[in-house]
Amino acid sequence: MEYTLTSIAPIVLLPFLAFILSALVVKKSDNLAVGIALSGIVGSAIFSSRVFYDFVFGVYSKGYYIHKVFNWFDLSYGDLVFKVDMGIYIDNMAAILLFMVTMVGSMIMIFSTYYMKGDKFGYGRFFVYMILFSTGMIGLTISDNLLSVFMFWELMGFCSYSLIGFYYQKESAAQACVKAFMTTRVGDVFFLLAIVAIWSVVGSVSFVDIYAALADEKFAGLAIFGIPLITFIAISIFMGTIGKSAQFPLQVWLPDAMQGPTPCSAMIHAATMVAAGVYLALRVYPILEAGHILIFVAYIGGITALGAATIALVQTDIKAVLAYSTISQLGYMVLGVGVGAYNAAFMHLIAHAVFKACLFLASGSIIHELHDHHTGGHVQEMPRMGGLRKKMPLTFIAMLLCTFAISGFPFFSGFVSKDRILGDAFVMATQHGSFIPVAILGYAAAFLTAFYMFRMMFLTFFGEPRDKELYDHTKQETLLWNRNMPLLFLSIFTLGVFYSGSFTGQGLVKVAGDRYEWFSTLVQKPHVENFKSYSKSEFNYEDSITRNFEKSHYDASHGMSADKAHHVHHIHSIGAVISIFIALGGFLLAFFMYFKKSINPWASKFAWYTKVLKNKYYFDDFYLGGLIQKGLLPMNRFFAWIDMGIYDRFFIDGWERVLAVCYSAAGWFDRIIVDTIFVDGIGAGTRLVNVILRTFQSGKIQFYFLVGFIGLAGYILTLL
Amino acid sequence: MSNLLNWIVWLPVLGILGMLVIPKSNETAIKYWAVITTAVTLILTLILWNNFDPTIADMQPNFMVKIPWIAQFNINYTLGVDGISLPMILLTALLFFLCTLASWNIPKFIKAYFALLLLLEASVLGVFLALDFFLFYVFWEVMLIPMFFLIGIWGGENREYAAIKFFLFTFLGSILMLVGMIALYYVSGQGANSFDILSLSGGHFRDLTVTMFGHDLPFNILFFIFLFIGFAIKVPVFPFHTWLPHAHVQAPTAVSVILAGVLLKMGTYGFLRIAFPIFPAASIYFADAIAWLGLVNIIYGALCAMAQTDVKKLIAYSSISHMGFVMLGLAAMTVQGMNGAVLQMFNHGTSTAMLFLLIGILYERSHHRWIIRPDGSRGFGGLYTQLPKYTIIFIIAMFASMGLPGLSGFISEALIFIGIYERFTTITVLAVFGLLLGAAYLLWMFKRMFFGEVVEDNKQYTDVNAREIFYMLPLVAAVMIFGVYPAPILNIMRASVGKLVMMLNTF
Repeated sequence: MEYTLTSIAPIVLLPFLAFILSALVVKKSDNLAVGIALSGIVGSAIFSSRVFYDFVFGVYSKGYYIHKVFNWFDLSYGDLVFKVDMGIYIDNMAAILLFMVTMVGSMIMIFSTYYMKGDKFGYGRFFVYMILFSTGMIGLTISDNLLSVFMFWELMGFCSYSLIGFYYQKESAAQACVKAFMTTRVGDVFFLLAIVAIWSVVGSVSFVDIYAALADEKFAGLAIFGIPLITFIAISIFMGTIGKSAQFPLQVWLPDAMQGPTPCSAMIHAATMVAAGVYLALRVYPILEAGHILIFVAYIGGITALGAATIALVQTDIKAVLAYSTISQLGYMVLGVGVGAYNAAFMHLIAHAVFKACLFLASGSIIHELHDHHTGGHVQEMPRMGGLRKKMPLTFIAMLLCTFAISGFPFFSGFVSKDRILGDAFVMATQHGSFIPVAILGYAAAFLTAFYMFRMMFLTFFGEPRDKELYDHTKQETLLWNRNMPLLFLSIFTLGVFYSGSFTGQGLVKVAGDRYEWFSTLVQKPHVENFKSYSKSEFNYEDSITRNFEKSHYDASHGMSADKAHHVHHIHSIGAVISIFIALGGFLLAFFMYFKKSINPWASKFAWYTKVLKNKYYFDDFYLGGLIQKGLLPMNRFFAWIDMGIYDRFFIDGWERVLAVCYSAAGWFDRIIVDTIFVDGIGAGTRLVNVILRTFQSGKIQFYFLVGFIGLAGYILTLL
Repeated sequence: MSNLLNWIVWLPVLGILGMLVIPKSNETAIKYWAVITTAVTLILTLILWNNFDPTIADMQPNFMVKIPWIAQFNINYTLGVDGISLPMILLTALLFFLCTLASWNIPKFIKAYFALLLLLEASVLGVFLALDFFLFYVFWEVMLIPMFFLIGIWGGENREYAAIKFFLFTFLGSILMLVGMIALYYVSGQGANSFDILSLSGGHFRDLTVTMFGHDLPFNILFFIFLFIGFAIKVPVFPFHTWLPHAHVQAPTAVSVILAGVLLKMGTYGFLRIAFPIFPAASIYFADAIAWLGLVNIIYGALCAMAQTDVKKLIAYSSISHMGFVMLGLAAMTVQGMNGAVLQMFNHGTSTAMLFLLIGILYERSHHRWIIRPDGSRGFGGLYTQLPKYTIIFIIAMFASMGLPGLSGFISEALIFIGIYERFTTITVLAVFGLLLGAAYLLWMFKRMFFGEVVEDNKQYTDVNAREIFYMLPLVAAVMIFGVYPAPILNIMRASVGKLVMMLNTF
């Protein structure tokens, strides 16, 4: 069946409608709002499944994409043309992500009915935000242009802010939500800048237009601030990824984001929103490539992967371990993008979303049951856990499967995806010396991942209960549909077979008679040349289009010759084998340290380093205590003081003084010169004359004679 | 229909006349009368919108009013509406209607207050509709009188100072505008001298020079500066901005709303209607300077806002910052930038009006506006717990103001950035950090006021009542609807703005 705009739109409109309805009824009835929100996400999941089927097994699996466009607004006048189009773009990658988002989202929201039930901060309110968030993530997945990606991206940022600050009476939550929003916003302004810059060159920010422009080399020769424009754009857009996916150096917000309810951490800060940054990087991969910043991307990913893994070693809060492991795994994905492991990075995104959502839900399942009767709060600290596998066997099984997956044990999803990334990094390292540190960072992080994850497992589920009272108060787990079903469902999909297609390499997807692994077959780098023929004039707004590009062949060897491909494959296998041993090594170290207890933890041996790790490499102190407290806030106060205390007071109100001086000068002039000398002077003169004349007119005849005599005498004198 | 604009301008004045017969003691009747008057004015503007033909770039011929006024000097009473003024008219009528509702608890001289408010409405509408520079000037000056008294009588503890400051600043601008206007009158004489804005427009004075102090100065550069300062004071553009924080802080709620929502736009409207069309060459010449001033407004306003502990002052500085975006869009002189600027004028009007209304609601309960009191204790805290409905509206207003996509501010800011990038790349790169700062001061303010435990004396505050929700709802709807679907507003302005951009681009 042909897709039309109206047949795809429900995927995003259903959750949006559910958001509006649930927001309207949430004051009246929590349960109704929850029901509406759940039906919204499940409905979207049903629509998505059809898209997923068509794009993976059905008619669209041969490299087609659906591109439906409608005009959002139009500012054209005469020959000044400016149109902003919105649209839906679904290719194999989007279809897979869409399916994952709606499925995992449904599971998390089902789990939330268990976790959030009776929450005094609003059971319904939580779902309102969650369904709005889902709208954002789904919308982002199927966006055809960077502008709508940005809009949904920010919408998710808002939901993330609201959910981190969900427990609004907690000061820590208030701090965390502002920090999360602001830190990601740093990346976002660069992202917006990239959008603006692309618009100026391409005249649109639609992905297909950008690919076409890259193929036509429209960016060639353009520069900004002395660097090529495309590099500037690539870095700016990648800054968006750094912010959203919590990459070094903007990783600081994600651990704090754990202040939100655990299901929201699972949804936003593990499975979807943070992965959206990686998805963006994959979508704009041709830009990153053209900007020659892939090595930068790889290093950022590698540094993040290892740095976060080291911090995870010293965490005692179960959610904090998971938060740092999320940052670390996101680092892997970014590393994968950087070394060109395009489909592996995407596969890791999907695999990670599934197992990390499950891990978070499992941790939620633990935390929710561990109720401290003294403080009235829930317990997240691993030092107070231990031995919980007897109390919570189902949660334990789900979490164990996910831990195997994240640690990269064979036959689990993490093995399939991560080892491809590491393998590609290994291949890159053998080809380019500059990538050697990237591979080392990746392998080191893999070792630590297995170690800290099993440390978490041993501390939580094994050994003797360390807080006996807490343990005894904890109820024995029974099978609850909304507690265990989502966990177990997700944990099934940690098996590698769903990702690699099969154990034998004979995949699920059939192309030209051969079966292929579906991920590596369907998800490929956008070949910009394919879009060269694409032109804006072919658009017809009334009748949006489905453009089909049939790929000539599935290029599993990355365009290399058969010999070279074989050689690369060989190196790749070596890399994969290394990572198996590394994962095992991490597991064994954790096993001996925290289960057998035959090795003492090394925290005391590396006291100073432990301190550094406990302080998260001092990033928070630097940003908050340094840049903000010592830089931004004093600067603000300084400017405010300049504005009111100096500028307004002296330079504006100072005119009053100037005027006052003028007034008094004018007054003086008026009083002394005009008034005293002229006006009063005339008056005085008149008076004088008056006095004189009056003297003369005294009425005394003798005086008249005297005057007459003097006058006559004077006259005679002059004649002489 | 041909008299619709007359009705729109003079209906508030008729309302004042009607109000005179209501006894002073009957306060309820006075309030309802004011509400009815502004409501009918709003309905008339909606009728205007409904009958507006968006394909016409010029003044809508159906609505033109031209009556000889002072025939000896060829001064006409000319009113007209186009795509640039219509959004402002709609905004003005809407905000005045909401402001009468928000003025329910005015403490004293009810009758005089509402009469002055209606006079203010008439003069503001007159400014946006006048097409004769002389008439424009008259409305512009008349507007000062009610503003002066509204701040000076019903304002806060330092109201006289603020009122006089506002008056003097604006008056300085008016004088410069007056000089420019008279100069234009004398050079306009192809045939009869005229104040007609439409016939002055189009860059006729490009090659004129004027002799001052023995130098030949280009006429358009010189008098563009006069008009620019006249309008810039109103925007306000740095460094003419310091009246704004005083006026906002001291003014009663409704007046703050009008001031931020409408009066600031009169400045930028002056650029669009008078300064740019009459002096296009000078506008292009000064575009760089305007853009840099806009940038300074954005960054400086945001930095100052962050340091404020008085929430109204904070929003006042945020207005300075946001009006900087409008200046940037104007300086871009591209179709995206100009449309973005006009849209930003509208969007800032709605979102900032919301914030001021909300602060007013809070002030009626708290009688102070301190986020942090001067003695360092918390003035507000934990309002989320105390006032849940209020908080939801506040969140919408705040995120609309900071330009969250999906709410109205984003589209205009994005358009402005797209518009300005090609001309002023460096400024664009610097200005986007204004978005970062904008989010910072608002979120920080929100955190301090709404999160955490409820501060002891905040515990007596009551949540928004039905009347307050009623007058917030139109604005909530506006920021949400135009955030998702801005086409209704953009469609009415695009032809007029496009024509202006085209004209500017020929210079």
